[in-house]
Amino acid sequence: MSQTQDAQIPVTVLTGYLGAGKTTLLNRILSENHGRKFAVVINEFGELGVDNDLVVDADEEVFEMNNGCICCTVRGDLIRIISGLMKRKGRFDGIIVETTGLADPAPVAQTFFVDEDVKRATKLDAIVTVVDAKHLPARLKDSSEAQEQIAFADIIVLNKMDLVSADEAAEVERLIKQINPYAEIRRATKSDVPLDSVIGRDAFNLARILEKEPDFLSGEDHHEHDSEVNSVSFEVAKPIDAEKFNAWISQLLQTKGQDLLRTKGILYYAGDSRRFAFQAVHMIADGDYIGEVKEGDPRKSKIVFIGRDLNRPQLRRGFEACQVEG
Amino acid sequence: MADVAESDFLLATRGRAEELGAWVVGAVFDARNALAFALADGTLHLAGTTGDWKPVTAHDGAILSASADMQEGWLTGGDDGKLMRTAPDGATTTLADYKGKWVDHVAAHESGLRAAAVGKALHLLGPGGPLKTLAHPSSVGGIAFDTKGKRIAASHYNGASLWFVGAKEDKPRSLEWKGSHHAIAFSPDGTHVVTAMQEPSLHGWRLTDGQHMRMSGYPGKTRSLSFTARGRWLATSGAESIVLWPFFGGGPMGKAPTELAGGDAVFCTAVACHPQHEVVAAGFGDGLVLIAEIGSGKVVPVAPPSGSPVSALSWSPNGALLAFGTEAGRAGIIDLARRP
Repeated sequence: MSQTQDAQIPVTVLTGYLGAGKTTLLNRILSENHGRKFAVVINEFGELGVDNDLVVDADEEVFEMNNGCICCTVRGDLIRIISGLMKRKGRFDGIIVETTGLADPAPVAQTFFVDEDVKRATKLDAIVTVVDAKHLPARLKDSSEAQEQIAFADIIVLNKMDLVSADEAAEVERLIKQINPYAEIRRATKSDVPLDSVIGRDAFNLARILEKEPDFLSGEDHHEHDSEVNSVSFEVAKPIDAEKFNAWISQLLQTKGQDLLRTKGILYYAGDSRRFAFQAVHMIADGDYIGEVKEGDPRKSKIVFIGRDLNRPQLRRGFEACQVEG
Repeated sequence: MADVAESDFLLATRGRAEELGAWVVGAVFDARNALAFALADGTLHLAGTTGDWKPVTAHDGAILSASADMQEGWLTGGDDGKLMRTAPDGATTTLADYKGKWVDHVAAHESGLRAAAVGKALHLLGPGGPLKTLAHPSSVGGIAFDTKGKRIAASHYNGASLWFVGAKEDKPRSLEWKGSHHAIAFSPDGTHVVTAMQEPSLHGWRLTDGQHMRMSGYPGKTRSLSFTARGRWLATSGAESIVLWPFFGGGPMGKAPTELAGGDAVFCTAVACHPQHEVVAAGFGDGLVLIAEIGSGKVVPVAPPSGSPVSALSWSPNGALLAFGTEAGRAGIIDLARRP
């Protein structure tokens, strides 16, 4: 396509378990006096009413793609709704998609990488997960969806802080960071977080990947895990061989993609003065150069995996083997 | 087409175009060759080659789909949940109100049938009001009546459902194929149903024996499907040329499609086959509109690129007029009738 496009509309995905405070946050975003207009896509069985001019009921239709990739799913209803909304561009500044409590965030996120119409018109701004500080530990034990919602999150609103002690709060943060040390945690009561902490984050912009240093817990060496989902990250100092890396990561995503929820990397290729950013949601990957390396910056390539059953030594060896020899 | 002079486009000599300011969802001729442009701002513009175009507000919100109504006038579905009829004089009537649910697809047949797809439901209406509601396993992606108005096909996830409109007991014939199906077309003789898929590829069913037809190789999603008048060719969008599949001589199985009017590295976004001749009109991602004769491959430029994708394209039933619209709101009509 050769025509130039208007600015893409940012889309915020709001996930979280039933009763965590998602709808409260949504209404807070909508009622705050910010002068911005949002189109809101809510699931049919929403708990509370949403007060907004442009509300669209969604059906959460998850479609498998026929591309030989079993975990490649998209939200068919979202493709349809976004195509419809785009016909009246200019009536709103952003889209907020609320998912049901039990939803796996992957199909929503993958929709923004897979569908050409959605990609052309919109960009994923951030996945915001609202969790109940009191009940999250129990949810993480009995629900893989609760773990996935944490794993996918760019921002976690740790809600209902008034119901927990300082110790409980510290423990729940520890559990979150074990799954996803890259998400930003915002403590809240009645979902009272500043609007700009959840909207306009541009978290899926390749240029901003791994910008934030992870909140790895000091002194913890990842031997015991409270949940199946966790994260690993590796850093290497030698330049990366682009061909070797592509071969390795493609093979890895093909075979392990179902367990790899989110993958992010910043790579310094041999003989290239630019940084390469890379991200994937399950098997679906996206990558591009994100500008020149600044003088004096350390050229350390880094990769992060958030997923299930991560084989740390194997992943490390795989990444290290992508370095240029000598 | 970059080297074609502005004056060589038929629009300059035989047509007119206006900027209507909103996404053109449909350029729709009714059965009496009267034209209306349906826009995403909820208006219809009753348009002709001469005289002022007349705007009519039909919906409080966006028009999502538009078709010709039964014998005259237009049918529109909106995101306000309404199914509206607009008469040739511009008078509007609410035919149904689905309470804020989007009316994604509409269709009508001159025999006295109207159809509106709302989520998973396909509502059939007659001149007197609602007839029945047909339920689908997932949201309906597209609908099409057969030429006679006896059957209606609805695409959805994992296939399409084929309903006999007059059946006493509503049980569809399921046309199954894994994946998400949207645009749908009936061959003019009613023997084939073809859908466009998310993948992007097409899938077809030969209804006589259930034979599957896979038509793939598209770089983009096909949004527009159109059979030629006698059903020999299926014209499609979604590639950098008009892709035509032969439905004769044993095709399309095992046959390569014919590609016309390629070469500009711009996607074809809309196709419309002439109602009588083996001629196809096509609109492209840059706003270019052209006509191609299928047999000779000869291309005639109609409208120059305006920078916005062609989103609507159609012929009048008498074959004398061609209308197009773009996402940016440019709408045009061209008179192709022989001049004395």
